[in-house]
Amino acid sequence: MSEPILKIRNIESFYGPIMAIRGVSLDVHEGRIVSILGANGAGKTTLMKTISGVMDPEKGQIIFDGREIQGQEPHRIVHSGIVHVPEGREVFPLLTVDDNLSLGAYTRNDTQGIEQDRELVFNYFPILKERRTQEAGTLSGGQQQMLAIGRGLMARPKIMLLDEPSLGLSPLLVQEIFEILRRLNKEQGMTMMLVEQNAAAALNLAHDGYVMEVGRIVMDGTAEALMKSEDIQNFYLGVQEEGAREERRWKRKKTWR
Amino acid sequence: MNMHTVPDQTTINGVSYNTKPGQRPVLVDKCATIPALFKQRCQSMGDRTAHREKDLGIWKTYSWKDYWNHAKWIGLALRELGLERGDVVSILSEDRKEWAYADMGIQAVGGIASGVYTTDSASQLAYLINDSDSRFLIVEDEEQLDKYLQIEDQVPGLLKVIILEDEGLHDLSHHRCMLIKDLYQIGWDTDIQEPEAFENEIDEAQPEDTALLIYTSGTTGMPKGAMLSNENIMAAIEAGARRLSVYETDEQLCFLPLCHILERDVSIYFPLAGKCIVNFAESPETVFNNLQEVSPHTFTAVPRVWEKIYSQVLILMQEATPIGRLAYGMALKAGAKRGDYKIKADKVPTGVAINYWIWDRLVLRNLRRMLGLDRMRRGGSGAAPISPELLKWYWSIGVPLVEGYGMTETAGLATMNTRFENVVGTIGQAVPGYDLRIADDGEIQTKGLNNFQGYWRNNEKTAETFTDDGWLRTGDVGRLDEDGYVTITGRLKDIIITAGGKNITPAEIESRLKFSHFISDAVIIGDRRKFLTALIMIDQENVEKYAQDQKVPFSNFASLCAAEEIKALIRTEIDAVNKEFARVEQIKDFRLIDVLLTAEDEELTATMKLKRSYVEKAHGHLIEEMY
Repeated sequence: MSEPILKIRNIESFYGPIMAIRGVSLDVHEGRIVSILGANGAGKTTLMKTISGVMDPEKGQIIFDGREIQGQEPHRIVHSGIVHVPEGREVFPLLTVDDNLSLGAYTRNDTQGIEQDRELVFNYFPILKERRTQEAGTLSGGQQQMLAIGRGLMARPKIMLLDEPSLGLSPLLVQEIFEILRRLNKEQGMTMMLVEQNAAAALNLAHDGYVMEVGRIVMDGTAEALMKSEDIQNFYLGVQEEGAREERRWKRKKTWR
Repeated sequence: MNMHTVPDQTTINGVSYNTKPGQRPVLVDKCATIPALFKQRCQSMGDRTAHREKDLGIWKTYSWKDYWNHAKWIGLALRELGLERGDVVSILSEDRKEWAYADMGIQAVGGIASGVYTTDSASQLAYLINDSDSRFLIVEDEEQLDKYLQIEDQVPGLLKVIILEDEGLHDLSHHRCMLIKDLYQIGWDTDIQEPEAFENEIDEAQPEDTALLIYTSGTTGMPKGAMLSNENIMAAIEAGARRLSVYETDEQLCFLPLCHILERDVSIYFPLAGKCIVNFAESPETVFNNLQEVSPHTFTAVPRVWEKIYSQVLILMQEATPIGRLAYGMALKAGAKRGDYKIKADKVPTGVAINYWIWDRLVLRNLRRMLGLDRMRRGGSGAAPISPELLKWYWSIGVPLVEGYGMTETAGLATMNTRFENVVGTIGQAVPGYDLRIADDGEIQTKGLNNFQGYWRNNEKTAETFTDDGWLRTGDVGRLDEDGYVTITGRLKDIIITAGGKNITPAEIESRLKFSHFISDAVIIGDRRKFLTALIMIDQENVEKYAQDQKVPFSNFASLCAAEEIKALIRTEIDAVNKEFARVEQIKDFRLIDVLLTAEDEELTATMKLKRSYVEKAHGHLIEEMY
């Protein structure tokens, strides 16, 4: 495979004295969807924030497109082509859908390109076109998520960091949004890094996966390989192991092999 | 027991022992059997604390009276359910007070207690139950119970399975399973119907009765059950009192598996004599926190644990402020100077003592408190060789740490260094009353009352273990200096004969490798081969730390092992070791085992040592790569 577009090397990030990421290294290749799995507090969101510059790493490098970008201001990182779609959507509730999208293109000044991208967003999310004059706060959760993704697209990024796009959405909506993400990847060649708790959906969508636990990566591989792993099946996909009794409660220890 | 033949008695730390060690009858406070001593202690100690255990995050105390009552109920109930004298009961549980209750209860009514490791698989459990011909099985919780349910039809000899924790099992209805509280109830009822029955059973115990079965890990073939008699254990207690003294006021922490003779002696049998308080760690994962909370006076552990504590400090210091690092360095220097005298039990010159006193106040005392070693009078290390540098480090920070040696077949204790008679790098002198010799082939052989009775229903193996003149073959090769200190150099069975015809004891090289902070364990390969190679298990924590400091990218354990920089690191470690050995004994090539092994894996013993034969089999492809 070619040189990865995003390389992370031994990143360590802290919240005060607490080490949230303990030396994480990973690669994202162009055109691929990489999914990060992990339980609460594993450090997935921190990892995303560290990449997008919201947090500064104590140690390590983030190499994007051949340049080290760790510790840079977030707006410069957006400028270099990384867009972060935050957890919990965080659209501007009092602005209209259109204004939200325009804000996504704040770093750009090619009016024509912006308008093209707006059409692109409306193409993928037709509902946003219908509601373009409506205040974003009045949209449903799913629509807000679409808007957040659309706003991200408006920066015309080389890679999108998606933090839990399925959060708080109905299974049907999750399916819909993931389908759109798949199309974006296929048709636009959009590289994505996806943090998810919904492991089944994420592994279905992604090409590669990493599993994080207490700030470290404990397992990685192609999505297919991960889906076959017993540990993933047991602890992330909810497959019940054959037990001696029906109402078995205990789980065997994870080995991450 | 014939009271007329009580030998001369000596009092050690408030307990009376035979003046001359190693003589029959072995008496501890005039008791000749474990149950008799147990009875005596419970009567005299009454409401004083015997055990502590954490319950929902709070340390709770349990008295000797609790110990007595619960053991009594277990013993009487098992007898009521069909246990006869000489029958075996298997215990499959992590360390907890009920382990001790059951051990005593079983032995008091003439049963034989046999521990099963919680990491054993269902099929291993079936083998152990059938081989020991167990009548009862005590399981800790639903996880362990499920092992039994998987092999239910393979163990027809079992009468009942007793469950200690009912969580998740309220709806269980199974004709052979019962909860411990129901067992207690049966015991309670029996006690009312037949008062004194338990005491009468205890009086029947004889020193030569088999008290426990300990299955030895068996790096080759199936595990064998070593039979230890009351007398063996009493002899171990006697030796322990002289070499591993404990006081009534001592606190201990129990965390190694009680199926292992080391923890069993130290946490169940020795406290019977020494009356000290045993604190049970919550789980193997929380040992270091529990250590801090308990701050024991004596602490016996395997080298791995001592190594971990040291690594923690090392990492902490690397991340400390420059001033903190400087202070630590100065304090360690002062400590090392004093340690050099202390470790040999020499008198410390006044200047050195004063210098140490200052640094102790400033730094070392706090360090010890933080680690939970501040009250420690003696640390012990056994079950595997420990690096001399590590021993010296502990002496430098003011923790006296000594190495000892024993095996199941010697009732856990054969030789021991003490704080006052200590030679680093040796395993100490033979314990009092125990004889030790080096055979012509270099094997360490022992004779005395600690020597076990033989393997359970396996006369052939028993005969192989003893020499014609009745000495026990330990299987370890070593040498003896003129003061009686023993140095182990290897295992007899593991001797490698290279294609060139050279005899090599791999254990010597392996333990040198293990002394590296980056190597957790190693297996030397080379039998009938042209040269020696090694399979290395890296120490995850320390190597990860190294990789991060050196900016070596890695994601999971396998990629860590695959990193060139890590291979280079291990190569330098091996090169350093190679310098100490002759040319034929040098390691030419090596491979890292790139799966993170856990105690559940067959390749590891319960004390996390690599098993040569399994490793050679499981990682044969790595070995072939090297030749």
